[in-house]
Amino acid sequence: MNEPVLDPERDVELLRRIAGQDRSAFASFYDRYSGLLFSIAVKVLNDPKEAEDVLQEVFMQIWNKADAYNPLLGRPASWAVTLTRNKAIDRIRAAQRRSKLLEQATVEANARPDDSPSANEMLHGRENAERIRSVVAALPPDQRRAIELAFFSGLTQDEIAKNLQEPLGTIKARIRRGMLKLREKLEGFA
Amino acid sequence: MIDERMEEQAGLYVLGVLTPEETRTFEAVLQREAELQQLVAALRTTRDALAGLAPQVTPPPALKQRILAQIEAQEKVVSLPVRTERSERWTIWLPWALAACLTIVCGITVSQQKTLRQKVGDQAKQLAALNQVADSLRNETQGLQQAVATLQETNRLAGLRIAMLNSLLADAPKAVAVSLWDEKQQRGVFVVQNLKPLPVDKDYQLWVMDPKYPTPVSAGVFQVDAQGNVRLQFKADKLIASPDKFAVTEEPKGGRPTPTLKNLVLIGG
Repeated sequence: MNEPVLDPERDVELLRRIAGQDRSAFASFYDRYSGLLFSIAVKVLNDPKEAEDVLQEVFMQIWNKADAYNPLLGRPASWAVTLTRNKAIDRIRAAQRRSKLLEQATVEANARPDDSPSANEMLHGRENAERIRSVVAALPPDQRRAIELAFFSGLTQDEIAKNLQEPLGTIKARIRRGMLKLREKLEGFA
Repeated sequence: MIDERMEEQAGLYVLGVLTPEETRTFEAVLQREAELQQLVAALRTTRDALAGLAPQVTPPPALKQRILAQIEAQEKVVSLPVRTERSERWTIWLPWALAACLTIVCGITVSQQKTLRQKVGDQAKQLAALNQVADSLRNETQGLQQAVATLQETNRLAGLRIAMLNSLLADAPKAVAVSLWDEKQQRGVFVVQNLKPLPVDKDYQLWVMDPKYPTPVSAGVFQVDAQGNVRLQFKADKLIASPDKFAVTEEPKGGRPTPTLKNLVLIGG
């Protein structure tokens, strides 16, 4: 089991050095987050080969645009997660895999929670990862499904509503309640 | 005080499901509301924990080498020495010479990618493969240098700075450009290939980064043809003493006084 690596202050310093074209800092940042980011890309794309391309694009963007990171809007890890998720979703949309995606999303939404080791274990250690998993699992299923579809599937708000056969306002409210509940339970930890 | 609707928007924002227009509106509010910034930061951390529930998958070790090799390849800048004599007719033939130069650079990039992708075998072969790539790069770089040297020999390119700009676009990774800047005449030639055409209400905007100025200096707006290509002459809005980098952003029609950094599409120096 890897030791937890999350350390926002060190990450900010790494990004500062990366902005100055420091390759050793870049290599360190890659070692810390490539596992998490690759796991997210694979989860979104369901295709390891495409996920490799996304990871390459993400780290090239980190190399070229590290100075665009804004600490006011979250930790470096959050920035990298956003880049990865957005690039993976862009790839899906570019490939116009909408109908297939809807099918996958439906299957995913109805699937049981996965018990395999999660990417969180690399960042937080097994015990903490298990706690995150239990907090998320404790969410009402309708809130959890709406949030997971929003983040991983690339569906729009309207498509999520259509997929879950609920009014758009209901979906927005579920996402809001779910996210605030998760924030409360994971405050000072995640 | 953040109301429920703004909380809702914040949740949708960090999950990436706001429409582009909603995103712009939300970010405008976000920029001036410190409390909202705190909420977004907290929700992003929450979202990261959620994202981390994805099953753990380790990227192949060769990927790191591939990325480092790409960084290595990206840094191709050719600066030419200053000369006292120049031809005023340089702008007539220069675009064609520049296009030839760009073709060579494109060839190098494509060749590198192809070569590198073929070398992602097992770990034992990797080192030897990378050495081969390094040799190949050296040869190709020599080819580029020879091409530039040939141009120098014409005694017409004196005082010019050539920069290659690479794509930051996921959907146009092959976009590439070469900028040639004449420091004495304060004008340049810019050649672009494979950049996606923009809708009529937007323009690409070229920027010159000079350490003398706190912000990039605009060098005008342009559009590409249906194939994504364009060749144009440009001037900067201010006197450029030492161009450090060149960049292209996507902007509203007519351009903006300062670049929209999140819309950066090409950069190089």
